[in-house]
Amino acid sequence: METSPAPAAGRPADTSGTVVEPGDGLPGTRRRRRGRRGAVIRVLQVVLAVAVLGGWELLTSLRVIDPFFFPRPSDIAVRIWEWISTGYILDDLAVTLEEALLAFVIGSVLGLVVGFLLARVSLLAGVLDPYLKMFNALPRVVLAPIFLLWFGLGIWSKVAFGVTLVFFIVFFNTFQGVRDVDRVLVDNVRMLGASEYHLVRHVLLPSALTWIFSSLHISAGFAITGAVVGEYLGAAKGVGYVIAQSEGVFDTTGVFAGMIILMLVVLVIDLLVNRLEALLLRWQDPAKTA
Amino acid sequence: MTDDSTAPAVQLKGCTRRFDTPSGGEYVAVRDVDLTIAPGRFVSIVGPTGCGKSTLLNMAAGLLEPSSGEVFGFGEPLRGLNRRASYMFQQDALLPWKTVRDNVALGLKMRGVASAEANERALHWLRRVGLEGFANRYPYQLSGGMRKRTTVAQTWIVDPDVLLMDEPFSALDIQTRQLMENELLQLWQGSNKAVLFVTHDLDEAIALSDEVVLLGVGPGSRVVGRYEVDLDRPRDLMDIRSRPEFVRIYEEIWSQLKEEVMKTYAKDSPALAK
Repeated sequence: METSPAPAAGRPADTSGTVVEPGDGLPGTRRRRRGRRGAVIRVLQVVLAVAVLGGWELLTSLRVIDPFFFPRPSDIAVRIWEWISTGYILDDLAVTLEEALLAFVIGSVLGLVVGFLLARVSLLAGVLDPYLKMFNALPRVVLAPIFLLWFGLGIWSKVAFGVTLVFFIVFFNTFQGVRDVDRVLVDNVRMLGASEYHLVRHVLLPSALTWIFSSLHISAGFAITGAVVGEYLGAAKGVGYVIAQSEGVFDTTGVFAGMIILMLVVLVIDLLVNRLEALLLRWQDPAKTA
Repeated sequence: MTDDSTAPAVQLKGCTRRFDTPSGGEYVAVRDVDLTIAPGRFVSIVGPTGCGKSTLLNMAAGLLEPSSGEVFGFGEPLRGLNRRASYMFQQDALLPWKTVRDNVALGLKMRGVASAEANERALHWLRRVGLEGFANRYPYQLSGGMRKRTTVAQTWIVDPDVLLMDEPFSALDIQTRQLMENELLQLWQGSNKAVLFVTHDLDEAIALSDEVVLLGVGPGSRVVGRYEVDLDRPRDLMDIRSRPEFVRIYEEIWSQLKEEVMKTYAKDSPALAK
């Protein structure tokens, strides 16, 4: 699993892949042209979705594709609706989200603190460097069984698993953010009378936060990945558990329904993260980060 | 040089600064520099590129310690940062995540001034530098000249006794630059603040200063000349450059600066050929 999203220079890459809307001040004709282009793209996107889903539906109805392995989209939609309308999935979804949120918060705080410490205390960084590298090189999925043994079938084994994923992303970004802080900013604030506390509060932390927020999409996604994979491997609740149960009775419709529900949830979270990011990084030049 | 009975605002005594080079060698930036700035005096350091002008400034600020020699601030040997000095950097030093007002108020807040009062005084300073109405902007939303004005407000609001300026206006276009120089002089006039101003622009140095200190070629630069600039104050920088006294002083200093610049070239060319 790739867990070092920090690119070498300047700003972290925008991994969300979202298209930045053109700002105000575009000449009218250009904006209109863009608007028309946008409409064309929207229409083509819908056409693509209809073609793929319709083709899938048709081919399964004609038995060209075996609906046992690839259930009909209409069946999946019905299943999702059943699960939501009866509230069957809601408890499991709540558990998954709780695990993800806890993993996200604990992993972020730990990553922030450790990243800060290591960036400021070079002796510590020197000593711990090989161990952190070794631990990060470990494919994290292999930790799930041992966490199940240590923390049991409840939520904490999943939280611990998610923490190991989130921690390294936040840690690397914090470390980089504090290390990469502009020397002139530090000197300037020190000349203005900053204590070590002021330096952290006004310069180092905001500098690191820009990196951390930019990686929020990845760490939020990993928090959910951690929860679901943990549930899949052994749990009594959660969307991952539901998927595993469906798989156990060869109910591929259930597996697909679970997948799609997770996908939708992650999309919603991603939108919220976008909003949060725009608010917290509003001081950044949009022209430069676009 | 004036002999002041009070202690100089900044004094460098026999200061030498060496740096370790990546290849394991040693590079002497400045050697045996003596420099005295009396309170209320405007002193410029001029020299060819790479002569260690900024090194001198950083030693006066306490950001760099001299390898040998000593730095004094108002008669006291400097330990750590120079607490009575403000520093205007050549590069952009505003915090990008703070608004203009918060950037200006920062120095006061860190000195324990209550937030409301600090903000009030920041707004007052923004009016003084002509940035009323820009208090809630972020630095990226300002032009280069406006960012410099913000920096001026940021460094002056803490009422320092010494102002250290490292080519503060070098990134500005020539018109904005002259405006800023004029405004700087107006602020400084009668403030009794000592200014140590580093520039590679002799024109700017003469127009602003009471004294121009000429640094020789690096490495191991020394002071090779000191010139008193006895132009009347207050000065109007918009037409001072054509005055005969200005031209006389300019020619006097330029004849020596030219020699140092030529030496730099002579030194650099074989180094580049290597």
